[in-house]
Amino acid sequence: MTAFAHPVTVWILAATVAAVAGAAAVIGALSLSGRAAPALRRELWLRLGSWCVLLPLMLGPVLLGREWTIGAVTLLGLLCYREYARATGLFRERTLSAVVVLGILLVNFAALDHWYGFFVALWPLTVSLIAVASIPLDRPEGYVQRVGLAVLGFMLFGAGLAHLGYMANDPGYRPVVLLLLTAVALNDVAAFTVGKTLGGPKLLPATSPNKTLSGALGAVAVTGGVVALVGSSIFGGTAMGSALWLILFGVLVSVAGQAGDLMLSSIKRDIGIKDMGVVLPGHGGILDRFNSLLLVAPAAFHFILYFVGFGLSGPVRLITGGP
Amino acid sequence: MRAWKLRPARDLGLPEPERWRSLARERGLVALAANAAWRRLLRGYLALFHRLEVEGRERLPPPPFVLIANHASHLDALVLAAALRGEAGRRAHALAAGEVFFGSGAGALFSAYAVNALPVWRGRTRKGDIATLRERLVEDGLVFILFPEGTRSRTGEMGPFQPGLATLLAGTSVPVVPCRIEGAFACWPAQRRLPRPGKLRLRIGEALRFPQGTTRAEVTEACRAAVSGLQRSRG
Repeated sequence: MTAFAHPVTVWILAATVAAVAGAAAVIGALSLSGRAAPALRRELWLRLGSWCVLLPLMLGPVLLGREWTIGAVTLLGLLCYREYARATGLFRERTLSAVVVLGILLVNFAALDHWYGFFVALWPLTVSLIAVASIPLDRPEGYVQRVGLAVLGFMLFGAGLAHLGYMANDPGYRPVVLLLLTAVALNDVAAFTVGKTLGGPKLLPATSPNKTLSGALGAVAVTGGVVALVGSSIFGGTAMGSALWLILFGVLVSVAGQAGDLMLSSIKRDIGIKDMGVVLPGHGGILDRFNSLLLVAPAAFHFILYFVGFGLSGPVRLITGGP
Repeated sequence: MRAWKLRPARDLGLPEPERWRSLARERGLVALAANAAWRRLLRGYLALFHRLEVEGRERLPPPPFVLIANHASHLDALVLAAALRGEAGRRAHALAAGEVFFGSGAGALFSAYAVNALPVWRGRTRKGDIATLRERLVEDGLVFILFPEGTRSRTGEMGPFQPGLATLLAGTSVPVVPCRIEGAFACWPAQRRLPRPGKLRLRIGEALRFPQGTTRAEVTEACRAAVSGLQRSRG
C-alpha cells in the first residue's frame, strides 16, 4: 500500500502505538500500586483517553491521502479559530469573523488546488479585506482591536496552519507530516519530563508558571535529536541531508513548537482564562492541544521548501485548471 | 486609540449540551446562519399558508426592547420571530418554556441554533436567572419575545399577565412593544396536534416606556391594557 510505502511512516506509527501502550502500562501500574493520588490518576486516564480518540483523527487523514489531510487541516483551522474568536470576543464582529472564515476556507482551497501563487497571494489579500471589511459599518471605535484580532486569527489558523495541508501535495508527504505531528507531541512530553526531573529556574513564570528552563532546553535536545535522526531517513540524499541542516531543522521544530505553546499561554493570560475550551477532557480546548503546531507548520514548510520543495514535479491547479 | 477590551463569550467554558440551555449562550456564525435560514423558512410558510399581514412594523424601536403579545397558539412565537427584520431579527431571542423546547438534546440543539430561544423553567426560575436575562437584554442590546400570560390560552381569550415581565424590566428603561395576534387560535389551538391554514394578522403597537418608580403592578397592568387595546373593533 502506498500509504505505508516509506519506512519512516511505519516507524512513526509503531512508535506512536508503543508510546500509548507504554503510557497505559505506566498509568496502570501507578493505579494498581496506589502511588498516585486518585485525582492525578483520573487526570492521567482522561488525557490518555483523549489521546486515543485524537491520534486516529490526526494520523488517519494523513494516511488516507492528500484530500483527507487538507480537509482535516481545514477543519482544525476552523475549530481553532472558533475557540480563539469566542475567547477574544471577536466572534461578535460577524462581518470580520465571516471574512476570516472565508480566508481560512480559501487558503485551504488553494492548497487543495495545488496553486501556490494563489496560496501565497491570499495572505496579503485576506489581510487587506479584513482591513476594509468593517469600514462600511461606520463604527470606527474598536477598529484597531477587531482588525488586529482578525488578522492574527487568519494568519495563525488560516495562512499558518494551511502549510501543513499544502505539504500533502508532495507525493512523499506522509513521513514529513507524521513526523511534525508526533514531534510536537514529543516536544511537550520531553519538556514536561525533563523539567520535572531536573527542575531549576522557571522559563517565563508570568506567562506559563509551570515551564522550566531545563525543560525547554531538554525538549530542544530530545526533539531536535529525534527529528534530525528520523529526518535523515526522509531527506537523506537531498540538499537538506547534511547533519548540520537536519539538526537545525530539529531545533527549529522544537523551538517553534514551544513558541506556539507560549504564544497561546500569552493570549490566555492576557484574556484571563485557563483553557480555551472544554472539548478534550484532560487537555482543555482544541487550541490547548494544537497550539504547538501553529508555528511549526509554516516554519518547517519553508525550511523544507528552501532545500527540497514540495511536489515540484506534480500536476498543479488540479481544480481550477489554468496555466 | 482606546485601550483594548477583550470580552470572552459569556458562555466560554460550558460543554456543548449545557451551552445550548444556558442563558449566557452567545451565538457565532453557524447559529446566526441557522437562525437566518429558519426565519426565512418561517416567513415563507406564514405567507403561503396564513397570508400573514403585519401592521405597524415602523413603530418598532431600535434594540433593546421586549416584544409581547397575547398567546393562544404555538404560531404566535413564529409570527413574532418572522415579523422582525434586520438587526432586531438577528438579536431576537424567544423566551420559551424549558420543559417543552429544551427537554431533549435534539430539541435543545434546535431551539438554541434555529429558533434562538432561551429557556425559562416553569416553577424553578431563580431570581438569578431573571437578573441574567435583564443584564443580557441591556448590555447585549437584545430583543426578547415573550408571552406574559405564561401559557397558551385554552379558550382564545387573553388570560391574566404574570408578574415576570415587570420583574425583568425592573430598574431598566427598556421599552415594551405590545402586539396583538389574531387568527392563531383558530389555526392552531392548544388542543390540536398540527396547524391548519388560515388568515393571521399581527398588529404592532406603540412602544411603552416606564419611568423610574412605576410599580410592577402598574407595569403589568399597562402592558395588558396595551395588548388588549390593539384588538380590532369588531363590527
